[in-house]
Amino acid sequence: MQRRELQLGIAMIGPWLIGFFVLTLYPFCASFYWSFCDYDLLSEPRWVGLSNYRRLASELASGGPFSRALANTAYYALTSVGLSVVLGIALAVSLTWQVRGRALYRMLCFLPTVVPTVAAAVLWMGLLDPQQGLVNGVLESVGLSSQGWFQSTSAAAWPPAWPGDHAGRILGSKDGLVLMSLWGIGNLLVIYLAALADVPKGLYEAAELDGAGRLRQFRHITLPMLTPVIFFNVVMGLIQSVQAFTQIYLVSDGQGDPAGSTLTLSLHLFLTAFKDLDMGYASAMAWVLFVLVMLITTWLFRTSRHWVI
Amino acid sequence: MNIDRPPRLAQLWLLFVTTLLAAPIVWMVLSSLKSPEQIAAAPYSWWPRPWRWGNYAEAVQAIPFLRYLGNSVVLCLGSVAGTLFSCSLVAYGFSRLRWPGRDLVFGLLIATMLLPWQVTMIPRFLVIRELGLYDSLWALVLPKFFGEAFYIFLLRQFFLTVPQEMIDAARVDGCSELGVLWRVMLPLARPALATVALLETIAAWNDYGGPLLYLNDPKRFPLAYGLEQFVSAHSSETHLLLAAAVLFTLPMVLLFFFAQRAFVRGVTTTGIKG
Amino acid sequence: MTTRKLLTSAILLATLFVLMAIDAADTPQTSNAREEIVFWHFWGGRDRPIVEKIVEQFNASQRQYTVRAIAMPGSNLDLKFFLSVAGGDPPDLLNHDDPIVADWAHRGVLTPLDELATADELKRLDAWLFPAARQLGTYDERLYALCNGLDIRALYCNTTLLAEHGLGLPETTGDLDVIAETIAPSGDAAGRRRMGYLPDPRRLWAWGVVFGGRFANPQARGLAERRSTRRRLLQRSLGWPTTVVVMGLASSRHSVRENKHLRGRRFRCSPTAGTRWSWTGNGACATLPKPSRLTSLQPFLFQLRPAEKNAGWVNGNFFVVPSRARHKQGAWQFMKFWTGFDGHEAEAAAACAAGGWIPASQQVVDQQAYQQALERWPLLKTFVRLASSPDQIPVPSLPVASLYYHEVVQAAQEVLYRGADPATTLQQAAARVRQRLQEVLDEH
Repeated sequence: MQRRELQLGIAMIGPWLIGFFVLTLYPFCASFYWSFCDYDLLSEPRWVGLSNYRRLASELASGGPFSRALANTAYYALTSVGLSVVLGIALAVSLTWQVRGRALYRMLCFLPTVVPTVAAAVLWMGLLDPQQGLVNGVLESVGLSSQGWFQSTSAAAWPPAWPGDHAGRILGSKDGLVLMSLWGIGNLLVIYLAALADVPKGLYEAAELDGAGRLRQFRHITLPMLTPVIFFNVVMGLIQSVQAFTQIYLVSDGQGDPAGSTLTLSLHLFLTAFKDLDMGYASAMAWVLFVLVMLITTWLFRTSRHWVI
Repeated sequence: MNIDRPPRLAQLWLLFVTTLLAAPIVWMVLSSLKSPEQIAAAPYSWWPRPWRWGNYAEAVQAIPFLRYLGNSVVLCLGSVAGTLFSCSLVAYGFSRLRWPGRDLVFGLLIATMLLPWQVTMIPRFLVIRELGLYDSLWALVLPKFFGEAFYIFLLRQFFLTVPQEMIDAARVDGCSELGVLWRVMLPLARPALATVALLETIAAWNDYGGPLLYLNDPKRFPLAYGLEQFVSAHSSETHLLLAAAVLFTLPMVLLFFFAQRAFVRGVTTTGIKG
Repeated sequence: MTTRKLLTSAILLATLFVLMAIDAADTPQTSNAREEIVFWHFWGGRDRPIVEKIVEQFNASQRQYTVRAIAMPGSNLDLKFFLSVAGGDPPDLLNHDDPIVADWAHRGVLTPLDELATADELKRLDAWLFPAARQLGTYDERLYALCNGLDIRALYCNTTLLAEHGLGLPETTGDLDVIAETIAPSGDAAGRRRMGYLPDPRRLWAWGVVFGGRFANPQARGLAERRSTRRRLLQRSLGWPTTVVVMGLASSRHSVRENKHLRGRRFRCSPTAGTRWSWTGNGACATLPKPSRLTSLQPFLFQLRPAEKNAGWVNGNFFVVPSRARHKQGAWQFMKFWTGFDGHEAEAAAACAAGGWIPASQQVVDQQAYQQALERWPLLKTFVRLASSPDQIPVPSLPVASLYYHEVVQAAQEVLYRGADPATTLQQAAARVRQRLQEVLDEH
């Protein structure tokens, strides 16, 4: 009986199982093997032991492309995920207010998410053009300095890399990418809105009776109730931003321009594999990426005990 | 008295935020109708003067637009067909059948969601080549017939909500497992299937990396990739680029308006895991 | 319910059918008597119609072959090519303009042209091509690529403007700074307007050579010799521009075609996409995107030995045939037709004239059609004269040339955008290239 059940079960999930072995497990193992090889796709892989990993370590030590890619990825992931949490909650709470036109507001917030990535990239490259772009125009018209966006290497989170830069010019290519990702915050809003709708109304009423103001209600009721969604947002956000490729490829001229400031791990790996035909090294990088993602996810799950309800 | 009563200036704030989010789209549409001179002109003006509808004709003629559109549609239909077929089957196997090791395998399925695509990218390319699918739309469509972890998860969650009695009744009536899936589950799961179909349509419409890797001949390019051809050939002609981008976006916006509810449901289901 | 089910299955089936039909329709039909040559290029915009016309002309002139031109997006042409080779379906012919000949030839993905051409043809070709065009296609003393057009750069100066300010022609990169500082002192109008020259990392090669920079070891062909020779080569410092300079007013074939830019009294430049720059008209003043960074570039510039006349960095468009191409002879016929070699000079001249391109051979230049073009665009004459100069220097033909090229561009970006120290940046880049070369040579 058990055997029949097993057969039936396997048969049902058969399509996925085949796909898993052929398109996931085999590639997974193959790339692990190749990470110890010198392989250019055109001739047979050649075993070179740990040399690809040593090369990664030495680039990390000397500040080579790999370490830059790592830093860029960290910057992009942390900034975009961090801001998406803050803005996501703020916007979602605003969208629960009973105001006239709420449905329209919600729809408008969601609309940008249906713009395909390629179109969004074209759109933002136009908007953020340092010379003719609308964004800089608006910044200047309200008395702020215009920014370099996709033509500048600077990044907002730490001081501009060199002293010759002029005051007020702090946003660069990575910040442009962050802006692009925040524009598509609608997906996240829907999730936050759903979670907010699930918060029992009684809690607020009780708090109100105790004389708690809006802020304290938010702090002690809304925020704790949102923690599972925040956790989800952080985990998925990090994984997605580490893997982000298309928009980065498009705005960076396919090579991480300017000056490698948009060379993320994802792009670096892709270029190493298919432009330099250095499959072995690219595989090693992919594995480092994989281990990193695993470590971060595990760490997040562990720490989540302390703050997720 | 509720937390959702608006504070003062709520309207103003919401208006401000939504304007920020919507402005790029408005900008894109208006700019796509401007003359190149107006786009370059120094004091910025929102309103196209004159309205250059010809930009659209020009953009469509600059690339084999219809051909690419056709490819995109085929890609979307094929992907949706493959996804619905495989994912509903597999989700059923994971939800309404009991078999030893099921939960373990399901855990494996969930774990694959955490695997960055870069890790398997290179060998996957070679597998597709060995299957003789290089430079064919099948290279992009066939993998969909093997299911996608996220959609399987989503459908499984839905299948689990179907009352056991309905399934038992069907089985008593002599239905095979496939029969149960076809006669009971799928009709009930229509909203979930619609969500999956919708998400997959968007994914296939959007896919850039797939064609970049697997397609060789422009005859087979879908719009997402064909547009890139346009970008590199007309990088200085912003008005045409934006016209092409608008045309590329339009189907998704229409889809959004017609299927708004499925959209929202689809995105919310994403949150279940959290 | 049944109708709906029926409908659903019908739609699914129809989809699959359409999918298969489309795929089947796309497989080349064998009934065609002519061999189809698949030709990849990345020309777009205004060049596209000219390319299409050449292909049409060739197809009309032929009974044996027919060329199908495929325009690939330029930014991922390499990628697409490698993937097609790995995927087992490479094109028969490819036109490229990056320094990839040596790399690809070394990897064994290119067909040496001596396998396609007769000995006699090769000998004549050698004399027919400009020296620069010959060098561009050569690796390891074999010809792998046939050049069909050269990209030449020249330094242009507005002499009237210089004279107004009592300045002479620049001879060093330092002079460029002096000119910029004299004509438009930094700091005026919020520091935003600047007359000067554009630092553009991509043109670094060009300006390095124009102002007398040379690759330390231009004779990289020695690689063909025995292993010991290679070692010795490596021990000497690898070719590198002896210095890095900031570019002056670069001008390539494109700006000549729109020679209005050079006619104006002053130039206005604006950045387009990414780090690319282009001339946009003759406005009142040069506008740098943001407050100029030229001050921080000072250490970047230093005196070089006086430049030889007519020196420059050259690249160009060339044809290569993948080693796994199916119709190599057809590809060879087509590239001869396009470049004009062996009796097609007149057609080639017409095409070059239409595109404002600089031919790869003096014999094409001498054709009537091209001479008329020179009358139409007098500025083009300078470029054509430069094209024949033996001092036009390409990226050295090393199996790591792509990396070499890329590293120099990157180094320039590091200095221009991040203010890195030029000497250190170059040294590090050179070390990486040297190491890679070592690895590549060790493998084979």
